[in-house]
Amino acid sequence: MFDVLDKTVGILARAMAILGGIVLILLIAITCVSIIGRSLTFVGLNQVKGDYELVELGVGFAIFAFLPWAQYAKGHARVDLFEAAMARWQNLVSDLASDLLLLAIAVIVGYRLWLGMLDKQSYGETTFILQFPIWQAYGAGVLGMAVFTIVSVFCVLRSLRSFGGAS
Amino acid sequence: MSNFEIGLWSFPALLVLLFLRVPIGPAMALIGFCGTWLVTGTPNMTLAQLKNLTFGTFANYSFSIIPLFLLMGQFATISGMSRDLFKAAEAWLGHLRGGVAMSAIGACAGFGSICGSSLATAATMGQVALPELKRYGYSGRLATGALAAGGTLGILIPPSVVLVIYAILTELNIAKLFVAAMVPGILAAAGYMITIAILVRMKNEAGTVLERKTFEERLLALVRVWPVLMIFMAVVGGIYFGFFTPTEAAAVGAAGTGLLALFSGQLNLRKTGDAILGTAKSTGMIFMIILGASLFNNFLALTQLPQNTASWVGAQGFSPWLVLFAVLALYLVFGCIMDSLSMILLTVPIFYPIMVGLDFGMSPDDFGLWFGILVLIVVEVGLITPPVGMNLFVINALDKDTPIGETFRGTLPFVVADLVRVCILLAMPAITLGLVWLIY
Repeated sequence: MFDVLDKTVGILARAMAILGGIVLILLIAITCVSIIGRSLTFVGLNQVKGDYELVELGVGFAIFAFLPWAQYAKGHARVDLFEAAMARWQNLVSDLASDLLLLAIAVIVGYRLWLGMLDKQSYGETTFILQFPIWQAYGAGVLGMAVFTIVSVFCVLRSLRSFGGAS
Repeated sequence: MSNFEIGLWSFPALLVLLFLRVPIGPAMALIGFCGTWLVTGTPNMTLAQLKNLTFGTFANYSFSIIPLFLLMGQFATISGMSRDLFKAAEAWLGHLRGGVAMSAIGACAGFGSICGSSLATAATMGQVALPELKRYGYSGRLATGALAAGGTLGILIPPSVVLVIYAILTELNIAKLFVAAMVPGILAAAGYMITIAILVRMKNEAGTVLERKTFEERLLALVRVWPVLMIFMAVVGGIYFGFFTPTEAAAVGAAGTGLLALFSGQLNLRKTGDAILGTAKSTGMIFMIILGASLFNNFLALTQLPQNTASWVGAQGFSPWLVLFAVLALYLVFGCIMDSLSMILLTVPIFYPIMVGLDFGMSPDDFGLWFGILVLIVVEVGLITPPVGMNLFVINALDKDTPIGETFRGTLPFVVADLVRVCILLAMPAITLGLVWLIY
């Protein structure tokens, strides 16, 4: 049962990260095209309209999309100075507390981002050049935070389970 | 308790959390959140900030550079350029005593010019160079020590993710910082090579000396690594000449190493996926730290601790050099237990205003560049010192026959080389700034 859950959440986190990565690679292509266009203005080409905005919002989404994988893959930097000095149960408690903290952050940051999105929607704020509605970019971020929350819940379960002896 | 005291107490509180192995970013976020709550008496301020703070931090054109540089490094790792770089360095240095180990350092420097991360440089070059070093009869101690140290060239030689973050925090020109890092980077590589030359003579290392290559062979080996030079020139030169913004340069660099990996025939769907996941893991970690640091720094600003400390230090009439030594020593100590990025994010907003207010007889801009390079070097020393020097563990994991204690001992001479370099750069700021003055 746990293994199925582990696998499913792993696939979810991985899929989200890959989606973010694809966006990142697309933005790299757009940026290169834009630079080439900009340097060839004498033959009538031009830079991609609103390329900075696209990069800013797109990379923003990619970062939200990367958070679940960083959490699932235990990627967060920590000071492991006393890991060896602490007893096994102390390390397990610390892992559990850390995962709970991350869950709290996922929930709070995600919920505030959702509220921020509603604000942006009601103001009808758009980007300067492309007139892209900002709330939709917030919405993409909320998607990332939602997956991050799911993964964080799983990670708490994973830490709880390791008390039972499974590593 | 006054606000100032709350700010002061937040540091021991943060350290306790860190020592209890709470991840660095979330720990800073927690202290920042609770601290602001204590000062204002309500959590509402942070909650209100969070509506836009996270999005504003993540979807930020300056910060967009970070995942792009990370992806660039991932592609560089796949491209197989590390082998060609090693062969090229070997053609030039292999005939010297300890030459193969020096070649590993040279190759690390070359790889550092297309990769902005120390760990990736150490891991990639280690995979290529370690088996070769062992094959030529180098001891595990020297081989792992040299490679762990060589890895730090990855963040010193531009492009460098840590330098980018420093530039964003201090609002300094990224291109100038990259230029300022150039000579100290070359100096670092040279210093490590000299260290090896001394070590092989003192310890009578058994390392085989290769046959001297002809000039044609050397040139041919260099020609093979031209893509690395091209990408480096495009990225650093492009920013310098204003062809594109630093963020665009990172995109160009990622496209360059991506194409390199593609043409080398190494890039398939699976490896692309791995590159993305590697990027995702580091990016997620870094931005969690950036978010935590901005909550923590917002809280500190509220307590006015940085301003008060800066004016206090200014009023004491300390010798500027004494303060600089103290700060660098602090970085050296904490570098041994914390990772370089979190340390920069945590401390630069506090230390930089203090330091820039002191009189070192140079313009604030010049001082910022010089200070940045010095800080970068002392924090990367932490990557090769126990107990938590990540490079040591990455390299040691590649070599099953060498115990970790041997690797610790093996890097010590290189730490000495680092410290000597810091002293030289401290004594002669012109080494760091000369190239900047020359071309700006």
